[in-house]
Amino acid sequence: MPGLNKGDIIALKNGKTAKICSKLGEGGQGSVFLAEINEKKYALKWYHKGTVKQPDIFYRNLENNIEQGSPSDAFVWPIYLTVKNDGEFGYVMNLMPNNYKSFTDFLLTKEKFSSISVVVNAALNITNAFRELHRRGFSYQDLNDGNFFIDPKTGDVLICDTDNVAPYGEALGIAGKARYMAPEVVRNITAPDVMTDRFSLAVILFRLLFLDHPLEGKRTLCPCLTEKLEQKFYGVSPLFIYDPYDTSNIPVRGVHCNVIRLWKYYPKFIKDKFIYSFSQECLHGSQRRLTDNDWQIAFTRLRDCIITCPCGSETFIDLKADSSVCINCGRKIPRPPVLKSKKYAAALFPGNKLYRCHTIEDSDDYTEVTASVVRSKNRPNVWGLRNLSDNTWNVTLKDGTTTEVPNGKVQIIVNAHKIDFGNCIGELEF
Amino acid sequence: MAGIYDDVVEVARRTMVLFFVVDTSGSMEGAKIGTLNQAIEDIIPEITDISENNADAEIKVAVLEFSNGAKWITPTPIPAQDFTWAYLNSGGMTDFGEACKELNEKLSRNSFMSDITGSFAPAIFLLSDGAPTDNYQPNLEALQQNNWFKKAIKVAVAIGSDANKDVLAEFTGNAEGVLTVHSPEALKKMIRFVSVTSSQIGSRSAAVGNTAPDEVVSKQNVFLEQVNVAYNNGDFEDESIEW
Ligand SMILES: [Zn+2]
Repeated sequence: MPGLNKGDIIALKNGKTAKICSKLGEGGQGSVFLAEINEKKYALKWYHKGTVKQPDIFYRNLENNIEQGSPSDAFVWPIYLTVKNDGEFGYVMNLMPNNYKSFTDFLLTKEKFSSISVVVNAALNITNAFRELHRRGFSYQDLNDGNFFIDPKTGDVLICDTDNVAPYGEALGIAGKARYMAPEVVRNITAPDVMTDRFSLAVILFRLLFLDHPLEGKRTLCPCLTEKLEQKFYGVSPLFIYDPYDTSNIPVRGVHCNVIRLWKYYPKFIKDKFIYSFSQECLHGSQRRLTDNDWQIAFTRLRDCIITCPCGSETFIDLKADSSVCINCGRKIPRPPVLKSKKYAAALFPGNKLYRCHTIEDSDDYTEVTASVVRSKNRPNVWGLRNLSDNTWNVTLKDGTTTEVPNGKVQIIVNAHKIDFGNCIGELEF
Repeated sequence: MAGIYDDVVEVARRTMVLFFVVDTSGSMEGAKIGTLNQAIEDIIPEITDISENNADAEIKVAVLEFSNGAKWITPTPIPAQDFTWAYLNSGGMTDFGEACKELNEKLSRNSFMSDITGSFAPAIFLLSDGAPTDNYQPNLEALQQNNWFKKAIKVAVAIGSDANKDVLAEFTGNAEGVLTVHSPEALKKMIRFVSVTSSQIGSRSAAVGNTAPDEVVSKQNVFLEQVNVAYNNGDFEDESIEW
């Protein structure tokens, strides 16, 4: 009989052994077990015989991935390989901490995102992880809802099932999961690669924000999804639900409720990214699909225009309009001051933060905070920008004079004209 | 503090109906029907789990028994999590034609397949140990014209060597869809394998096929391929009593 049992001792390639404690779950290709190595707990994935198409190539690829190491902390990457045992084998990875919930659970609303910025953080973390993966020359090949685990309170992301990750130009025989595969993979014209990853990533990001599926609307609502229709809807003639030139696949009231409700809240520039990504040209691959980096910049910009309204709810600010309306309470919010740097424009509203990508030239770090917008304790109408970076800022005031703002100190926003953050200058716009 | 994600609703899922079409004629009496009852009952929690952790398909169960005539145990397909298996008793003839007739009637957009979000092609498992005692042919022929039936994943489990495999193959459309089991242990494993595998079709990552570009891949074939792998692994080897 295939598989492992509790108590089995599995030899690892590095000479250590793993003791099987219990079964955690079962997948298409094998089972995942709780295992103990040197008294530390890990997850061990074990492949059933016959489920891997080319086991020798697969095994060598895993070995190579372990050697190369994980491209980002967001991946649950293989860390040890087992010795082959009668044609079967497996690999060891870290356990998934239980504050991370499967993206599938969000789609089934067993879990909900606590705010818009959590969703946007998750989008940033996902795009950044794939950017790092692709930059190392890998492709993932099997992006789908079951592979992403997200902390509903922070938007931190862990990506599992990394065993099909392969160097550029190599395919391990996996095509992917229905509804996430690029049209050319559905049609069996190409094997998964970086370009098809880009399509799947756009689907994941769309569903992260809007839950429903970008290609499923009125037209796909058929009594029986036969293989032939599946080929049509996802392969030969896919159509975006908000295609500006063809409205025959629009979302249906009572069925695609989430996207109908959520789409209208999001700023036009981010919706345009999806309209472009699912345009006929991008669907069929005749136009360049958005890269991970394009998405990372887009979501950094999206985060720059999220503020917390005095009603306590998050809302979007249109940085080009005189005022915006809170999506929760309907209050009119005059445009706050905006900090413009080379690539970004960030709303300076109390509670908002600036990151290294805003204050350091050519940085794309969206994680490390370098400044925060604060309200004066005694005069709440006065807003300031607190320096949380190691650099001393050189601020040019509106009257032409300059002043220094070291770490921890606050510059009153309304008085400032330009801020030299050290190696990057930001201009204030009111 | 209200967020726009507070009021999101579960995404629309297509329905996947698992049909169990069970021979409850006299010859099934004893260990066969006993094992079958227990095996299906045991598999329901696993099916429920697959359904509840699946954003692609909601799995429902429908049960039809046939002996003297054919009778639906489920008035309509029941979501896996709400379904409890009622133990079937055996006795009487093998009115297979009646079962085909019932199936043909319910496999319709106006009947069992009416979900607004649409359905996947269903999976139909026929479990039988004998041969039809009625004039089944006209009803089977009518069923074979049913579009839902044509698209369905069809598997027949022949229990023991007295089952008429030719009739079962007529039902599934090919001999590969007929799986023979010779022991209670093998029957149990087969029911589990068939139910779980078909429930997961569509919600699991697939391998690159050997088909030409734009050639439509049949799910029935994908399914049978998986059964083959399991067969070759010896997953259904007989271990105890033989029938
Ligand atoms: Zn408000």
